[in-house]
Amino acid sequence: MVTNYLIDGPITQKVISHLMEKMGEKTDSGGHSLFLGQVRADEINGKKVKAIDYSAYEGMVKTEADNIKKSVLLEFADAKTIDIVHSIGTVKAGEISLFVLVSAGHRHQAIQACSKTVELVKEKLPVWKKEIFDDDSYEWKQKNSD
Amino acid sequence: MEVKVLFFGVLAEVTCTNCIHYREVKSIGDLKHRIQDDFPEVVHYNFRISLNNEIINNDPKLKDGDEVALMPPFAGG
Repeated sequence: MVTNYLIDGPITQKVISHLMEKMGEKTDSGGHSLFLGQVRADEINGKKVKAIDYSAYEGMVKTEADNIKKSVLLEFADAKTIDIVHSIGTVKAGEISLFVLVSAGHRHQAIQACSKTVELVKEKLPVWKKEIFDDDSYEWKQKNSD
Repeated sequence: MEVKVLFFGVLAEVTCTNCIHYREVKSIGDLKHRIQDDFPEVVHYNFRISLNNEIINNDPKLKDGDEVALMPPFAGG
């Protein structure tokens, strides 16, 4: 269950489907742009990432995500709605940890607003990640560098 | 008076705690000194400070019930 933009564990296909169900109700929208962030099996110093453990300042996530939505909707006047969901807890390589869906009147703003939302999530959401390697060692990811 | 201090990310690991309470701290600056006394390893890490869910860059006074968070650089998404 999504609570204040966060969900425990990976964002499953069932959850994605549920979040996308309401698209058809937005009859003033001509385009929906979806971003799914997936945990990548990076290889670092000969070790492969098998999962990421996410933690968050939950109280501040709501404030910041609300602000992100407000600023993107202000910047992209044709955008109608923005949905953001971020995982906390363990998400394995190949699983989804970020969902951003933007509905807009037209495709250009849907795509641009979605891209802007993803960048702001990475910059402003108080979330941290620990990369877990296949030998069960781990490393804190110090900054977003993808 | 008492304030709650939260540690996140790598800071929670190096301090071995997510949450600690401090009494009789006057300001953020005062709090930082107390934290560094208790957890000297914290000085080796970059972090920002929030006060009641807002990131701050100055040295405001603290009051009873305030919540302060020490946050390493974000890495979400």
